[in-house]
Amino acid sequence: MTEATMEISERQHLFSTRTVLVFSALGVIALLMLLLNIGIGSLNYSPAQIIDIVLHPANDTASTIIWNIRIPRALGAVMGGAYLAIAGLLLQVYFRNPIVGPYILGISSGATVMVSIVMLTTLTAGLAATFNPYMCTLAAILGSYTVMAIILAISTKIRSGITLLIVGLMMGYLCSAVTAILSALAEKERIKGFILWELGSFSGFKWSEIYVLAVLGGALLVLIYALSKPLNAFLLGEQYATSMGVNIKKFRVLILMSSGALAAIVTSVAGPVAFIGMAVPHIARLVFGTSDNRILIPGACLAGAAIASLCDLIARMVMSPVELPLSSITAFFGAPIVLSLLLKRKVEL
Amino acid sequence: MSGSNGRYVIECENLAVGYKKKAVLSNINMGFEEGQFVALLGPNGAGKTTLLRTLANLLPLVSGKIRIMGKEISEIHAPELAKLMSVVLTDKVSPPMFSVFEFVSLGRYPHTGYLGRLSAKDCRVVQESLEAVNALDLIDRPFDNISDGERQKVLVARALAQEPQLLVLDEPTIHLDLKHRMEVMAILRDLCRDKGITVVASLHDVDVAAKVADKVVLVKKGEVSDWGTTEKILTGEVVSDLYQFEGVEFNRHLGSMELRGSNSCGKAFVVAGMGSGATLYRLLAKRGFAISTGIVHTNDLDYFVAQSLGADCSSQEPMEGTDSDAMTVAMRYLEECDFVIDSGFDIGSINQANLKLLQAAVEQGKQVFTLRMGDLGKLLGQNGNCICCQDEEHLLEALDGYCGTKQNMEQK
Repeated sequence: MTEATMEISERQHLFSTRTVLVFSALGVIALLMLLLNIGIGSLNYSPAQIIDIVLHPANDTASTIIWNIRIPRALGAVMGGAYLAIAGLLLQVYFRNPIVGPYILGISSGATVMVSIVMLTTLTAGLAATFNPYMCTLAAILGSYTVMAIILAISTKIRSGITLLIVGLMMGYLCSAVTAILSALAEKERIKGFILWELGSFSGFKWSEIYVLAVLGGALLVLIYALSKPLNAFLLGEQYATSMGVNIKKFRVLILMSSGALAAIVTSVAGPVAFIGMAVPHIARLVFGTSDNRILIPGACLAGAAIASLCDLIARMVMSPVELPLSSITAFFGAPIVLSLLLKRKVEL
Repeated sequence: MSGSNGRYVIECENLAVGYKKKAVLSNINMGFEEGQFVALLGPNGAGKTTLLRTLANLLPLVSGKIRIMGKEISEIHAPELAKLMSVVLTDKVSPPMFSVFEFVSLGRYPHTGYLGRLSAKDCRVVQESLEAVNALDLIDRPFDNISDGERQKVLVARALAQEPQLLVLDEPTIHLDLKHRMEVMAILRDLCRDKGITVVASLHDVDVAAKVADKVVLVKKGEVSDWGTTEKILTGEVVSDLYQFEGVEFNRHLGSMELRGSNSCGKAFVVAGMGSGATLYRLLAKRGFAISTGIVHTNDLDYFVAQSLGADCSSQEPMEGTDSDAMTVAMRYLEECDFVIDSGFDIGSINQANLKLLQAAVEQGKQVFTLRMGDLGKLLGQNGNCICCQDEEHLLEALDGYCGTKQNMEQK
């Protein structure tokens, strides 16, 4: 309790020493992961070679591998992890429940169904559409909003954590049923790409997809950071937030729309990635020791980027050259976190 | 602090409140001034919380008007309203990983800028708010790791950090232990006196409300049946009617509730006076005895307690010697009763009649229990059917023994 003697005027500073330290550490780790993901692969290049290729791209195989495979993938993992973490953080604040996330609530599944319709059926103009990132992204956003609307409709009727989780589970089942039927009916050549995508992976990112991710997601992040003050008020629940002057109706729409959109744009390119959205905000709260969203939003971005990159690295390298599905790796550390939250009774169901 | 020139801090005009356009309470007209403590009283389900949440602008009103500081509530922008009024609700709040300081500083919401950065002034207000609720020592504790009573104080501090004119609280003392219940009420009362804040709170303890509230609002099914100055409004009959009491009575002079007995175990006649009978009446009521008592003056504590417990009471005007009417009534009670208790009252010139009553009891062969020490006690004890008891515990044992033998005799 050394802080008890702290002068009241010193408290106005937002960032404590701990916050600054944790931010620096997370930043360094995230950067390190990004570099490792660029540097390590089934083909070995020395750091000097890689730096040379990055600075002076040529027209050889090595340049193609680094510039068209590794760098987009590494950037995809960084952005995917950050966006999913923020999507999860927003949902946790909204539902005031630390155990929810876009994957757990079935929002990713909703996006998956819509993407599978685009990828597997002839509703779209054939295979070309599969690689049109805008088409998939729009479909994914549509799917995630649909599921979110259903969850909202139910959660306003029955306010309990268990309901949320069960609704999320059911959404997941329904969506995988739909995708299973679609894949049974689909033409063979379309299925392989879809199955790989459905397992969740940051591989095969095109630069065009990276641009979509960066522009759309970046804009959303700016918007969300601007919402961090009402998000903090929202931690006390809707009634208190209203009494402090938050425009709840407008705010509710904003957080749910941006959360759903973030989850959807990641899902549309990387497939449904499990647990990042649920676990990372929780880890961020633990390491920063606060629920203050002004710190957590950038914090969860960095932590999400670092953890998603690490998981992707593990998925690629552990059984190399066989690549493990990303969602299996994320589940390995996400599921225990859910269980420990339940056991510590930090979550009220 | 007698109101700012009669201007109301909060005022209702033909207000109807309820859910989904269906009125639960209607035709409410009332207004409260600066620095007043207003208690909403009424049975559960009568609509206290509905009224309170409507006043706090958390529920849309059904019809009529609410004015805050003279301005209609719907015309005040939400952030401006948040600077005038803050709330403490019964909703469970348990944000994880928040220190008490961070939690209370959330109350600065309407005063801070775009990202909610605290200025030196904001920090000072947070500190003052915590001081006002005697909780400055909690400032670095984690919010999810303090007791219920401490949490309630911190919730009040958060509301104070909004620097409101009006503080609205829903059942602020529910689930609190006795110490914190009284502490929170004292804090709220001091806020009215010292800071001139108008406090509107729904309360479930009428006796506490009677002691802290300047104004009470009585909420009965469908309406606000009455409102006004506590001391004028809260009478025993009004409270009984409000809560539909059976076997309970609120006594405005004592400021508390008395729980009546079942009157199923025979009748006791208590010779008492000068406060010596009050605890005995309660003891007998608890045990289910019917009670009669006499002769007590109408300014005697015993008189008020006996009245609240529904005892038959032979009484007389204060400062007077016994008149014959009171004596006649008392003698009738004496004849009707199963046994007599002598409370051990002090004897002076104007209550000689009570001494006569005791002598009469002994002469009539009534069973007498006396708590009287000294010679007179011995005197009574030597004459006839009299048991001397040292204290209430002893008296209870003696009563149990007496009732036991009486039952046995009746069975035979």
